[in-house]
Amino acid sequence: MKLEGKAKMLRIHFGEADKWKGKPLYEAIVEKCRELDIAGATVFRGIEGYGASTLIHRSYLFRRSSDLPIMVAIVDREDKLTKLFPVLDEMVREGLIAISDVEVIRYVHQEGVRSQA
Amino acid sequence: MLKPGPGKKVGIYVAEDQQYHGGPSYAAILDYLFFHGVSGATVTRGIAGFGADHHMHTTRLVDVVQRLPIKVEFIETVEKVEELLPKLHQMVGTGLLEMHDTTIVKPAEKKRAEARGDVPALKREGKAKMMRIYVGENDKWNGKPLYDEIVKGLRAHDIAGVTVYRGILGYGANRRIHKDATFSHDRPILISTVDTEEKLTAFVPILDQMVQQGLVVLSDVDVIKYTPELPTR
Repeated sequence: MKLEGKAKMLRIHFGEADKWKGKPLYEAIVEKCRELDIAGATVFRGIEGYGASTLIHRSYLFRRSSDLPIMVAIVDREDKLTKLFPVLDEMVREGLIAISDVEVIRYVHQEGVRSQA
Repeated sequence: MLKPGPGKKVGIYVAEDQQYHGGPSYAAILDYLFFHGVSGATVTRGIAGFGADHHMHTTRLVDVVQRLPIKVEFIETVEKVEELLPKLHQMVGTGLLEMHDTTIVKPAEKKRAEARGDVPALKREGKAKMMRIYVGENDKWNGKPLYDEIVKGLRAHDIAGVTVYRGILGYGANRRIHKDATFSHDRPILISTVDTEEKLTAFVPILDQMVQQGLVVLSDVDVIKYTPELPTR
């Protein structure tokens, strides 16, 4: 699998506390992406933010349950990503999905070869 | 900045523990005034008082919850106050909002030192490119962390700015899940940078050498950048 040239980037924003069938929503989305053979997905946790509910999400010291902003970034061809849309519609109850055009310069997939350190 | 002449003085009375969108109301009101260019505002905390509910709030009692009266006061032109009122009306909640006519005899002045800061900030706007480089935290280049070396390389190429993010979960080319385990040091890394297309494409051959496995993505962005002075690097 090699990806080069025009592609789409999908960014999904929601909260860390959001769940899908009992597990964290971001984990569920990444699993779904793998199932659909999407090239890659990365989850980032923000340190502060606010969204549709205008509630500030911020982590508090000594508080275990945090609801920090989560962003999942996915890059692949448009036709691959469109397969994901109906699934996301169902999974992301409250959140934001943004799509943008990107150009992929390199994406190397070497079976089993990975620099060990 | 205010000019001498007619104006409005607005007083807003709220309880100290009153909330607006998850934070204290008075702080939200003060932020609203600040970011809408009001020339000045003062918050004072009363030491005792009562409101519509006719409960006496004082400092004498040992209260777990602070319920002292808070007053936010500001003076602005008639037009400015008209513009702000609808939102303030909403923010004040159960509190009281009042205003009366006033005359500005002498507006406050900025301090001398701050006046120098009035030189308009250099604003650079326009089209640019954003380059995002996805690698693993564990990836090395010449025995050193790859992301560190990429940042050094970008700096050496005078690229305007770089930010490194560490993801908490992800997978990429090798289909292996990189997870946020406490002792794992192979989480996904994103290096994000913005500069002109020429400068970024000039860096691609260097990336070709450095990145064995990873993803490099370019996208068009609009830059709205403020720099207080000319960058000296």
